[in-house]
Amino acid sequence: MNRLLEDRKAAFIFIAPAFLLFTLILFVPIIQVIYYSLCNYTGLTKPDFVGLKNYIDLFTSDETMKIALKNSIFFMLFSGVTQQIVGLFLAVLLTNIKAGRNLFKNIYYLPCVLSSAALGLLWAFLFNPKIGINNLLSTFGIQGPNWLFDTKGFIPLPMWVIGCVALWQYVGQNMMLYMAQISGISRDIYEASYIDGASRGQSFRFITLPLIKPMLITTLSLNCIGSLKFFDLIYNMTQGGPNHRTDVLATHLYTQGFKYYKYGYASAISMILLILCLFTTFLISKCIKVETYES
Amino acid sequence: MVKRFVSGFLAAALVLGSLSGCSVSTDTGGGAGSSGATTETTSGSVTATGKEEQITWMFWDDLNATEDLISKGYKQVIDRFNEQYKGKYYCNVVTTNLEEYPTKLNALVTSGNTPDVFICNPGPNLTQYVESGAAADLTDILKNQESQWYGTFTDGIFERITYDGKIMAVPTNFAAACVFYNTDIFKKAGVEVPKTYDELLAACKKIKEAGYTPISCSAGTAWCLSMIAGYLCDREGGPDNLVDVNAGKIEWTSKTFVDAATKLKELSQYFQDTAAGDSNDQATANFYNGDAAMLVQGSWAIAQINGNNPEFEDKCGVFQFPAIEGGSDPNRMIVKTDNLVMSSTTKHKEAALALMKMFTDDTAQKYTAEVAGKIPVTKVSIDYDKAPKQFAYINDILKNVTGTLGFYNESLASVEAGDTFDAAMVDVFLGNAEPQQALQKVQDFYNKNVWKK
Repeated sequence: MNRLLEDRKAAFIFIAPAFLLFTLILFVPIIQVIYYSLCNYTGLTKPDFVGLKNYIDLFTSDETMKIALKNSIFFMLFSGVTQQIVGLFLAVLLTNIKAGRNLFKNIYYLPCVLSSAALGLLWAFLFNPKIGINNLLSTFGIQGPNWLFDTKGFIPLPMWVIGCVALWQYVGQNMMLYMAQISGISRDIYEASYIDGASRGQSFRFITLPLIKPMLITTLSLNCIGSLKFFDLIYNMTQGGPNHRTDVLATHLYTQGFKYYKYGYASAISMILLILCLFTTFLISKCIKVETYES
Repeated sequence: MVKRFVSGFLAAALVLGSLSGCSVSTDTGGGAGSSGATTETTSGSVTATGKEEQITWMFWDDLNATEDLISKGYKQVIDRFNEQYKGKYYCNVVTTNLEEYPTKLNALVTSGNTPDVFICNPGPNLTQYVESGAAADLTDILKNQESQWYGTFTDGIFERITYDGKIMAVPTNFAAACVFYNTDIFKKAGVEVPKTYDELLAACKKIKEAGYTPISCSAGTAWCLSMIAGYLCDREGGPDNLVDVNAGKIEWTSKTFVDAATKLKELSQYFQDTAAGDSNDQATANFYNGDAAMLVQGSWAIAQINGNNPEFEDKCGVFQFPAIEGGSDPNRMIVKTDNLVMSSTTKHKEAALALMKMFTDDTAQKYTAEVAGKIPVTKVSIDYDKAPKQFAYINDILKNVTGTLGFYNESLASVEAGDTFDAAMVDVFLGNAEPQQALQKVQDFYNKNVWKK
């Protein structure tokens, strides 16, 4: 009995750090944000309770919120699709080559470990109207588009540009996860399929794809949540401009909270963002069924 | 027992280690001796010993890396302060870039770490610190305790930083928005300095035909575009426009504003091709590199122009923004002061005051005019031969000025209202909306947030 009690104490001590951290830096702030989202709060004066006004304003009279929501959903879909396809393609490619595998793995993964702020600034320079890509195009007599400042279209050009930069930066993460999953598939299954006359394409379709499904849920969830709360590249490349055309939920939140000091309103945006992230994760886990093929 | 102690110690270390990783640093670069929140030091010859009374000053440029002559002057003030009060007071400087400045300052104010003295724009930016009680009331200090110092300031300089009769800041310099022009290009294109808006359009046409960009402007940095819009609004309707629209007596969609926005659209056809994406610095560089004939900017640009291309000073002329025929008083000028605010919670009032006085002493104010080309806020005598040539031109223009106004976006009801106006003007420029439609958005904002209809 004493030993059991001692074990409980030890368990408590070991759980305590994680519990404290979770409570202090996650649970308490979330509760605070829920309360602030129901207040008119500037950060400089005491919160003034206004009920659901912030949420009503968000969906009835905030034009930027509509743009931000549209852009965030676009970004999630674009990143979700492109990063899955390109990430899986690279993973399959690299698991099937021997020469230079590690070199290319590192090259593709390198942008993932670099600072997003630095990369954002780097790409902003490259897409600047006077220097970078347009300067290069002009030597061939081509006038490049206004990559980061074009405002035409339902999804303006800067959003596609930022989407492609995000793909370049984060595709390495999907590639690594898929490579790990593919490496775990027994070679025996492939060999058996080849003996049965399966082509490489068929073995990919009927063996690789079903067996990497668990990883699909993980990577898709990571992509979607990461894209929904995406901030750094957009902030460093366009600051949500011109005229909020490239604002996403996170940049809108930042502007409202840290530029206009409407912390209550910004908290309401963050709650919408949280709900969207939870809903997306729930949807992915419900929609993609994983069957166990190997014991 | 030992095992339990070790496991308990390790758990505590883990918690503390993790929590220390969560601490927020407000270190923003710029100083050689930076060591975290509000303790960044300048790279002057004097270093803090830890025995003196230390204060913090927050500023929006990196004093060690800057090429801006005003910022360099501020660095000299800090170095002089630390030298003069060696062993008694010491000033630490927290710097950020301009874009991040309000956010970081606000975070410090919110967390109860307001810098003892910080720089602040007039208008809604200052208003929020006044209304929240973060800014100290300096009226008694200026008018009673330091009346001699107060007497050195030029008349009316405190007007835009006075709230209900209370002086809430001390200005360090003031800038006036003018049109800078390249005299070489004007000569080659055969154009004279335009006095009216129609003459300006005609000059732009001729300059364009001569193969030059008539006007360099940044719409990527929206306030640059909105400064031209502000001048057009004021030239159309005068001071009444701003007063009445803030008071709810006229609407943003009224003829005077629509005409101004239409003229902005008309004028924007003479901007450089990359105006939509160019930053303020790029637009200014277009001008001092000789690619564009005109630049509408505040007189702080003198420091930037002469600092980056000293040879350009000789061919840089200045004229006041042209009149609109049938419009309002053409001799009104957009002006703006840089202001020092003292924290209401500072525990080092004497030291903060000594620093503020040093920013406005004769040495600093002479530097402001003679080196940086900005207009002093005190009655200090200036050697015009030493000052940049543009300073004398602006001084000549100021002699005819009948009234002043603040930057339009900084004179509206709030920071967000100013941004909404800026955004509307960018929309007009980009062709995303007709002037009437763009101004309707500003009106909608005012209806909801300012007039509370």
